Amino acid sequence: MAEALLLAAGLIFLAALAGLYRALRGPGAADRMMAAQLLCSGGIAALLLLAAATGLAGVVDVALVLALLGAFASVAFVLAARGLGQR
Amino acid sequence: MSLVLDVMLALAVIGVAGWTLLVRGNFPAVIGFVAYGLLLALVWVRLGAVDVALTEAALGAGATGVLLLFAVVRLRGGKAEIDAATPSPPQRVAAAILCGVVGLGLAVAMLNLPDPAPSLAAEATRHLPLLGVGNPITGVLMAYRGLDTLLEAVVLVFAVLAIWSMAPDRRWGAIPGPLFPVQSSGPLSLLARVLPPIGIVVGIHIAWVGADAPGGKFQGGTILAAMGILAWVAGLWRLPPVASRGLRWAVVAGPLVFIGVGLLGFVIADGFLSYPPGFAKPLILLIEAAMTLSVAAAIVLMVAGPPERPA
Repeated sequence: MAEALLLAAGLIFLAALAGLYRALRGPGAADRMMAAQLLCSGGIAALLLLAAATGLAGVVDVALVLALLGAFASVAFVLAARGLGQR
Repeated sequence: MSLVLDVMLALAVIGVAGWTLLVRGNFPAVIGFVAYGLLLALVWVRLGAVDVALTEAALGAGATGVLLLFAVVRLRGGKAEIDAATPSPPQRVAAAILCGVVGLGLAVAMLNLPDPAPSLAAEATRHLPLLGVGNPITGVLMAYRGLDTLLEAVVLVFAVLAIWSMAPDRRWGAIPGPLFPVQSSGPLSLLARVLPPIGIVVGIHIAWVGADAPGGKFQGGTILAAMGILAWVAGLWRLPPVASRGLRWAVVAGPLVFIGVGLLGFVIADGFLSYPPGFAKPLILLIEAAMTLSVAAAIVLMVAGPPERPA
C-alpha cells in the first residue's frame, strides 16, 4: 500500500514538474504565477500522499501551511505584477 | 520507488536553483526562488526533518518570497542605483567560486562522516522528560541551546529597527508601507475575508503543537503575519503608525519575555535561561506565545517597509 501511495506521489510530482517549465520560461508573468501555483498544489498532494505512506508526524501540517501560503503568495504575485498600492 | 522519487526531487532542486541564479529578470528569479523553497520543503520531509520542512515552507518560500517580491516592485525605475549596486562580473565569478568551494567542502565532509555519524540525539532525547516537552527540536531550541534562540529573537527587533531607520526624517512616526485602497468586491476582497479566520486558527495551532510535534513560534507567527498582510493589502486593516506604543510592544514582547524568563533563572534555578525542574514547560510555552506575537508583528513590518505616509 505504501509503495502504491509513493508511486502516486511521484506521478503527481512529475506532473507538477512538467508545469515548472512554464514557471521558469513564462513568457507572461501570469504563466509563471499559475505554474508556481500548480507546483504548490502538486506539492500539497504529494505531501499528503507521503504522510499517508510514511506516517511521519506533522507532514499534514506542512501541507496545511503550503495551502495557506500558496493562496497568499498568489495575491502577492498579482500585487507585484501590477505595482503596489497608492504612493 | 522511493529512490526514484528522491532522485527526481534532488535533480529538480538543483535544476531550479541553477536556473534561479542564471535568469536575468527579477520577477522570474523570485518565482524560481519560491519554487525552489517549495521543492526544498519536500526534500526535508523526505529526509524526515519535518520541523525544517515547516520552517522552509513558511519562512523560506512564503515570507522571504513575498519580501523579495515587494523589493522587486520597489526597485522598478531605479536603474542607475541598481546598476551602481550590482557587483561586477569578476566579483560575481569570485563569489561563485567561493560558494562552490564551500559547498564542495560541505559535501565532502558529509560523505566522509563515519557510520553511524556522531550524534547527540540520544542524549537530547533522554533529558526531554525533565523539560516536559515531547518535540526534541523544541527541547534543543528552548532549553539546551536557549541562548542561540534568544539571540535569534532579538535579531528580529533589530531588523525592524534597521528598516525603520531608512525613513526620511519628516516621515518618522508615520504609517509604514504603501496605501492599499479598500477592496469592496472581487477575488482579493473575498480571499482577505475568508482566509484569515482559517489562517489564524492554523497559525496558532502550528505555534501550539511545537511543544510536542513539528511546529513552533517562527512558523506559526509567519502564518499569522501572512493573514495580517492579506487583510492589509485588501484595504481591510490599516497598519498602525510606527509611533504607536501597542505596535512597539508587540515587536519587543517576545524578546522581553524571553530575557525576563532567562533572568528569572538566576533566582529560581541554576542561572541564566535555566528552568526549575517540573516548571520548564509552562515557562517555555509562555516564551513561545509571546514570541509568536512578536514574530508575526516583525514580519508584517518587514514586508510593509519604512514609514512613508503621514498618520
